[in-house]
Amino acid sequence: MRITFLLISILLTIGLISVKATEVNGQDLNKQVSFTVGHENLSAAIKRLQAQSGVGFAYDENYLGLAHLFTQPNSFVNESLSAVLTTLLQNSRINFKEEANNILLFRITYGRITGKVVDETGAPLPGASVALAGTSYGTITDSQGNFVLSAPEGTYTVAISFVGFKKMEFPNMKITSKPSVLNVNMAGAGQLKEVTVTYGKQRQRDITGSLAVVSGTDLLDKPDNQFAQELQGKVAGVQVTQNNGAPGRGFQFKIRGATSFSLSNQPLFVIDGLPITGDINDINPDEIESFTILKDAAATALYGSRASNGVVLITTKHAKPGDAKITFDAYYGVQGIPQQHRYQLMDAQQWAQFENEYYQDKLADEPGTNPTLNPVYANPSRYGVGTNWFDVVTRRAPTESYNLNVSSATDNSQSTVIAGYMNQQGVIVNTGEEQFSLRLNNDYLFDNKKIKIGFNIAPSYHIDHNNRIATEGVNDIIEKVSEASPLISPYAPGGGYTYSAASPGQVANINPLAQLMETIDDYHTTRILGNGYLNYNIWDGLTLKLNAGVDVEDVTHNNFVPSTITTNLIATGTSAYNNGYSYTSEAYLDYNKTIAHDHHIDIIAGYSIQKYTAESNSIAANTFASDAIPYLDQASAVTTGVSDATGYTMLSTIARIDYNYKEKYILQLSARDDGSSRFGTDNKYGFFPTASAGWVASDEDFLKDVKQISFLKLRASFGLTGNNFFSSNYPSISQIGSGTAYNYTFNNVLQQGEINSTLGNGQLRWERNKQLDIGLDISILNNRINFTYDYYRKLTDGLIQAMPVPYNSGFTSIVYNTGAIKFWGNEFTLNTTNLTGALKWTSNFNISFNRNLVTSLVSPGYIVRNNTISSDYDRTEVGHPLGMFYGFVFEGLYKDAADVANSPKETLATAAPGTIKFKDVNGDGVINNNDRTFIGNPNPKFEYGFTNNFTYKHFDLNITMSGTYGNQILNADKWAYLTNLDGARGGLLAAVADRWRSEADPGAGIYPRTETGTTSLGRDVESQWVENGSYLAVKNINLGYTLPLKGNTTLRNVRISVSMDNIIFITKYSGLNPEVSLNGLNGYGEGIDENSYPIYRTASVGVSASFK
Amino acid sequence: MKKIQYIAIVFVLMIAASCKKTFLDTAPPDQVSEASFYQTTTQFRQALASTYVTLRAVFNEDFYMTEMRSDNTDYDYYPVNVGTAYLARYQLHDWNDDANNSYLDDEYRYFYVGIARCNTILDHLQDPNQVDATDKSEIQGEAEFLRALYYFRAVRYFGGVPLSLHEVTTSAEAYIPRASADDVYKQIIADATDAIAKLPTVTFTKGAQTGAATKGAAAMLLADVYMTQKNYAAAETLLKTLSAMGYSLLPTYAAVFSTANKNSVESIFEVQYTAGATGSQQSNFIYLFLPRTTSTALITSNLGTNNTSTGGWNVPTQDLINAYESGDTRLDASIGVVEGTYDASDNMTISAYKSIVNYTPAPGKVGRPFDKKVLNPVTIANNTDDDWPIYRYADALLLLAEAQNEQGETGSALANLNIVRQRAFGNASHSITATDQVTLRAYIAHERRVELAFENHRWFDLIRTGTAIPVMTAFATQIKLIHTYLTASSYDVEPYRLIYPIPFSQTSLNPQIKENPGYTF
Repeated sequence: MRITFLLISILLTIGLISVKATEVNGQDLNKQVSFTVGHENLSAAIKRLQAQSGVGFAYDENYLGLAHLFTQPNSFVNESLSAVLTTLLQNSRINFKEEANNILLFRITYGRITGKVVDETGAPLPGASVALAGTSYGTITDSQGNFVLSAPEGTYTVAISFVGFKKMEFPNMKITSKPSVLNVNMAGAGQLKEVTVTYGKQRQRDITGSLAVVSGTDLLDKPDNQFAQELQGKVAGVQVTQNNGAPGRGFQFKIRGATSFSLSNQPLFVIDGLPITGDINDINPDEIESFTILKDAAATALYGSRASNGVVLITTKHAKPGDAKITFDAYYGVQGIPQQHRYQLMDAQQWAQFENEYYQDKLADEPGTNPTLNPVYANPSRYGVGTNWFDVVTRRAPTESYNLNVSSATDNSQSTVIAGYMNQQGVIVNTGEEQFSLRLNNDYLFDNKKIKIGFNIAPSYHIDHNNRIATEGVNDIIEKVSEASPLISPYAPGGGYTYSAASPGQVANINPLAQLMETIDDYHTTRILGNGYLNYNIWDGLTLKLNAGVDVEDVTHNNFVPSTITTNLIATGTSAYNNGYSYTSEAYLDYNKTIAHDHHIDIIAGYSIQKYTAESNSIAANTFASDAIPYLDQASAVTTGVSDATGYTMLSTIARIDYNYKEKYILQLSARDDGSSRFGTDNKYGFFPTASAGWVASDEDFLKDVKQISFLKLRASFGLTGNNFFSSNYPSISQIGSGTAYNYTFNNVLQQGEINSTLGNGQLRWERNKQLDIGLDISILNNRINFTYDYYRKLTDGLIQAMPVPYNSGFTSIVYNTGAIKFWGNEFTLNTTNLTGALKWTSNFNISFNRNLVTSLVSPGYIVRNNTISSDYDRTEVGHPLGMFYGFVFEGLYKDAADVANSPKETLATAAPGTIKFKDVNGDGVINNNDRTFIGNPNPKFEYGFTNNFTYKHFDLNITMSGTYGNQILNADKWAYLTNLDGARGGLLAAVADRWRSEADPGAGIYPRTETGTTSLGRDVESQWVENGSYLAVKNINLGYTLPLKGNTTLRNVRISVSMDNIIFITKYSGLNPEVSLNGLNGYGEGIDENSYPIYRTASVGVSASFK
Repeated sequence: MKKIQYIAIVFVLMIAASCKKTFLDTAPPDQVSEASFYQTTTQFRQALASTYVTLRAVFNEDFYMTEMRSDNTDYDYYPVNVGTAYLARYQLHDWNDDANNSYLDDEYRYFYVGIARCNTILDHLQDPNQVDATDKSEIQGEAEFLRALYYFRAVRYFGGVPLSLHEVTTSAEAYIPRASADDVYKQIIADATDAIAKLPTVTFTKGAQTGAATKGAAAMLLADVYMTQKNYAAAETLLKTLSAMGYSLLPTYAAVFSTANKNSVESIFEVQYTAGATGSQQSNFIYLFLPRTTSTALITSNLGTNNTSTGGWNVPTQDLINAYESGDTRLDASIGVVEGTYDASDNMTISAYKSIVNYTPAPGKVGRPFDKKVLNPVTIANNTDDDWPIYRYADALLLLAEAQNEQGETGSALANLNIVRQRAFGNASHSITATDQVTLRAYIAHERRVELAFENHRWFDLIRTGTAIPVMTAFATQIKLIHTYLTASSYDVEPYRLIYPIPFSQTSLNPQIKENPGYTF
């Protein structure tokens, strides 16, 4: 690679270009001569010239080797001596100058200048151009920002330029044989940096929408196997949380509180211009060069129809000319579950004691039930700590990743290959994921760079082992872990696993360890992301851009549940296959023109089509010959065999006009007319226009002299965006269901059945988002402090939701435009360069205050989570923020008989002293469903992130922190599961020992008695469950050391780093993870902690080496 | 010039692409569309099959609300599990259910799934299609029969319910108030009357009918409706038409419930199930009715299943067992006993299968009765062939006897009653001779209880005959003595509880739907 680069340099500096003597301007040299030369040696020719011109020459013929150099035949008529000599000495490495009225001939000697180009934060600028003004000598900085420029000795003006930075010139730079050093800090032009925006790139200063870019040092090599990790805490208004710790999963995005009741609340992800349809977890983070997060209507406009939840543009790595290299990155880490906030559960002895007391209390209070004490629970002191099931099913797990990045580029072709392997084992036993990935990005330029053609292809293969087993929520593995009895050993005495993890009197519980170890649940995903583009510069300023891409996702699923872990002792297996692919094709024209010097316009117009198709099939079978072979050919009965297909299409027209006057007054208008197959016949098309404007106030005369302000821009935008992401592709039409659930037998003869299976909504229309954004960007103190502020307001109306519909329709729900939500908020971002000396320190602090309010909803004006009150955790209701926790108000326990007699009671349960007392919210004297009310709010008052980067000599240190304030968490985990007083489930909190047992022994006053028929009250959602969810997390600390490499080794650069993830959570929340959210960041059901997959802390070491 | 040509070409391409509007008209590739469906007789037959399927959903859970609500059956109490799903079923039996009860919610919904399917078929049948007149008439009759059947159950459970009679195509059409019970009955009578006219008479091929609705089934249904409305004369007329259609009693009572005799001459209408490895066409009632055990093998043809999370329901009460007279073959044919021991988790380890007749438990063992009518040979665990009877000829005879007795035709009533008793006892020696209307009424009621035990008639019979409150009050006193775990709020035997509360999901969704009186929740 290095060779290629040298070749360019040599060609540039010597091969093609004639040498011009710049210091020659004496009288003699201007003398007009006429001279004819044939094919002869220089020695003779010079001698004749000397004689003919009458000017004295001084030279050392032997040193210059004139006798061995030859001239081309030529004849000069009345030309300057200087011109004649220039021609004669062409390609001879001999130069001339006038000295003391003699023409001195001398050998050209080359000198060198070296240096490093960095931006204002000290980050290297690869690909910056370093040139000697007035000559053709020039070079380009390498990946570390370093350059070496060879040129004939002399004094030059060195010009350094880089896209997005102001050109800098350094006059009177001497180039001598002793290399001189020029280190350049390209300050003061951050606003000129080009960033990726929708359909192209734009200079930061011209942007009128609200967007944020994450790149550079934020993407240092870290042990990230999901790119979401790299965005945590980085951007104001962008919430990225790790809701659970399942390998390769668990991250959720939310931009500006965006939500929709339809399934997807995640932003649209666009990779190299291609909106992706498959799983974002298949993307190797190492392939990513930068992220652009688009937040408001103006920024997202050209993805109008899908932009309601914001857009994340991902740019993958493309080689840049002069940046040929091989990079190898690797890390290895160990993940473990932090000890902090682990629940203290009863051990075996405490559990047996509990069962004893449970029995004694029954005997005392309910003698009619003739209780008996199972001998297992007699004499609890004989038991020790027993089994800690949480410890049994969790572990320390390794995570590792290796990436090889080969890039090479010339002016006319660029090529990048990134090969990666990643393996992350889960902290829950026998879960994990592996990924093999490859990306090939190639760009070619033709016809003097008028034509640019590129191909990007990224195949990957992803193996999920058991990490998609249903672990979370009700009735799944984690619940079974928390309910398992500490008296039971997970291992059978003769080897293998115990079948049941339930002690006498407990509900059935198949050993969760055995379930995890013996289940096979593998997903193999083959993913191919590919696109090709053609940019053709038709004439000056007018470019045709074509882009076509495919996103293919093939998933095979093999599941086997051996007979040993099923209730009916019958093994079951599933083999399923799902193929989904989408293609996108776009064509547009981009016209870029400056008129009358000050009017800049950029117009794009074009269209885009997208089609998604998926086919799947699934076979389920049971009763296997043995548990040893998990494949369906061993099964004796196939129970299900289905195949199906689905798809959607989109057809869009886009247009955008950017105009600026003197780069000071900026206006942008854009529109997208989108058609989606998912809507009703008359509502397929949605029109999404936006308008935005910017004013670079710092360019005005009255601010130009204010030295402190380097840059000041005011922005405003207003526009419409839409949403058509929902689970069904055909909500507008009534579908016809078929298959076994519709078939009937008439006297044992099968009659196939088919009938309407969904209630179509022909009137379904786009969910729309009206959004206003007002922003301010200011840079002060020579760009060392950059501050951005945004205020936004948006109204989402026509919210699409699977709305419950009265049963007399024959259906339970219809996909419907159900209501409106208002969102508003303030976002602040502060980027500062705190220190620039030997110790460099930059930081980013961002904070956002997001609010929302439901302004309308169809009858009955609220959405419940669940029809059963024990799972009805939250309610979204008109006049309230989204997803408010809903339940009873806890008022302690009934103290005594008088308290019971004088207080309102639940109608169905038996109120007694020591049972839970709820508040009679509606004051009707009885406690029932109508006494539930809003008891908590999962929406934070504000969210923030704080990142600091330090470099000192060869060390660099990066610390990322993030947090929320003012949100609450509904801890169903603790109250519905770990304080279950039925005596039937293990895994009780040790604190439950301090429950109510009698009026004389009322305990802590929060854990009720165990009397039959009263304990179910403990599972009704109530105010005690709501906890403060505020936290400050140190998400990552990464310390790196770059080895000082001396000499001309192949190795160019080696960085060794140590890193830790999820280091500490400062929080009052009593559960394991304050970022927990069973339903993810879906807006209306957040902040629920119910048997979640525990998150992990990772410690890792990494190495990143680049080669010449 | 050349460049301008390029641009022109590109624009033409762009316009051409964006004009391709059909690109957006997609439909599920793996389905027929509603627009092209409902055209042929085959398609309507397919739609009808799906409408029958809903019967399975209804009758898979119906016994919780009928037999278990009455004095016929009980449940195995499972103190360690007081989860919502268990409580919902306990509460139906214990007369302290409320509008949150998930089983009420299910049944209410299933009725309407069935009704909506009937509505869709009936509406589309009126549209232009390729169905010939004969088929059209028959299809309409079947759909009307099924709609009447669903509404009849709904109105008896919940009182007046929203009367949806056409396919709902927009959500607004679903927001309608409850109709009066009278209006619902009028519709049921209209549908059933038309169904009788349109449906074919039953035919028996090798002794079995197809299981589809017939004229006889519709007549039986309408007679049942008239009985509920105390229109005895109309009921009698209809019931008398049945014998001419070919219905008769099978020779022995036990034979009626053998899967070898599905859809027999005694069957008027039953929910069809077919055992088999594929296709989800099977039933599994026996596994729900046996005690919770880690293996049912001893009872179910040596094919064991662990039913600890599904079993323990519809347990015959001692009150029912005591109701059988000595010598009545129906006791042994209806009820069996599993013998075994209960462990600490209240699961039974089954050690023997015994007859209920003169049963006394072996030393150290417990005998637990169960509904034996659904016990037939099993070839795949948890996958049985048993149909669920809705109407059979013995029911018709007893209903006829009741209709006649109520009109003072005690002689005819007695004759019909004794046909049923003669089969039960194998001879005429147990025939009833009383001719007093009141005495005979009690005999008929008793006969219906034992003849139709576990067939989900008892609850409706108690209500129809006005005996629900006294019978259940007496039963409550009895059962509270046996089951000490029953809470104070249980057995709230009050007249308002003779209809169930409208599910909370519906009253909360549609404020026009008012809750039944007496239910605060």
